[in-house]
Amino acid sequence: MTVVTSQGDVRLGRAGKSVRVLVALVGIGLLINGSVRASDDAWPFGPMSQYAMSVPDDAAITYTRISAQTDAGTTVDVPLNIEGAGVARAEIEARTGEIVKDPSLLQQVADGWARKHPDKPKYVKLELIRDTTQLVHGRVEGPPASEVLATWAVRR
Amino acid sequence: MSALETTTARVVDWFTPKIAMARIAWLRTILYLFVILDMHAFVRDTRDKGEHPGLYQPLLLARLLDLPRPSVANTTVLYGVLIVACLVGATNYFPRIAGWIVAPAFTWWVLIGMSDGKVDHDHLALVIALWVLPTVGKASYGDQTRSEAAGWAIRCVQLCVIATYFLSAIAKLRSAGWALTWPRSAVLTWAIVRRPHPVGEWLLHYPWMLHVMQWVGITAEFLSPVILWLKGRWQLFGALFFLGFHAANTAILLIHFLPTVVCWLAFAPLERIVPWFQKRRSDGDARQAEDQAEEGREAQQQAGA
Repeated sequence: MTVVTSQGDVRLGRAGKSVRVLVALVGIGLLINGSVRASDDAWPFGPMSQYAMSVPDDAAITYTRISAQTDAGTTVDVPLNIEGAGVARAEIEARTGEIVKDPSLLQQVADGWARKHPDKPKYVKLELIRDTTQLVHGRVEGPPASEVLATWAVRR
Repeated sequence: MSALETTTARVVDWFTPKIAMARIAWLRTILYLFVILDMHAFVRDTRDKGEHPGLYQPLLLARLLDLPRPSVANTTVLYGVLIVACLVGATNYFPRIAGWIVAPAFTWWVLIGMSDGKVDHDHLALVIALWVLPTVGKASYGDQTRSEAAGWAIRCVQLCVIATYFLSAIAKLRSAGWALTWPRSAVLTWAIVRRPHPVGEWLLHYPWMLHVMQWVGITAEFLSPVILWLKGRWQLFGALFFLGFHAANTAILLIHFLPTVVCWLAFAPLERIVPWFQKRRSDGDARQAEDQAEEGREAQQQAGA
């Protein structure tokens, strides 16, 4: 039920108003609960945890990438996004352990690239590489050290 | 009335301010068109996930509602339904029907997009905006009727915009075991090393600058709720500060947060656009009429000379 006042304002009826305020309060409650206790799983009411961690001054910063040898004889970094090989870097980083155990999972990266870029050189060998940058007193110390975690000869 | 009743009435009124219907009309057009942009530019891998559901890890909401796994068929239908409903919603025709379709459909779209182990935090205000907009009836761009239903919807969007900042300050405390270590940590250095680009790499040589930015960032996030109670020019300054904050984040980290940025418009007096435009036009007409009269006199004088 809405009520129109003498100034022409449209006011809410008692029930409509109560329900709305209640919904807003429940929403705030869910958001607080998410921030205090929940994880990203509770989206959209999870914690706003992007870039929320305190990185120590002597941290080793890791960065995972995939390097590819192509049938044109070149070595390139695989573009880890949807337009590139169809997988995001976050997915690769989240699944590093699985890929190390079973490098054949890298096949889908080569397939994704070949499907999205049929006219570009194909990947013949893929390497999952972890670059580690060492911080000393909060500063970057020297170039990153690279470590090959998994190797996969691409199936045709 | 007792003190308790007065306080309750005040709180209730704060959640349901009287705001002109025109602001809802503008927000509908802008946000429904933004959703179409979002589906192609930001959360754009939902249909890819339909093709390769192998990496799908459903989030809590998807499990609670027992939503089907993404497939080519359901993500393609979802895409089509969203585009049509957004286009209709943006015209302000059938706002409730279009709105009640877009809200769950886009929530599902984003839910699939974020079901690969990585969840972004820039969609809260937009998703909630889509759920509250259809609770308001038909509105037009020039409608100055002030409505509490409109005010509640706007207030919810404003709350979510501010919550995005305030709660990220809370998350920073929580991740350190409820301690304030984040602003002195190497988090921005870490972020730049992992997303290298010229501006960021230059900043790596000056860690103190990054620390200043971290202090400014977390302080602003903690103070952000103040903006809900600021008025007029001061609120505008608050909003501009956070838009600058996003510009800086975009320059340093390539993180734009546009789905939150667009929702800042809930604070803007969009209802003034039509009256402003009408006034300008009527002023213009008046001036034109004056000019014509002036020219007429000059012509007469010349003829008489």
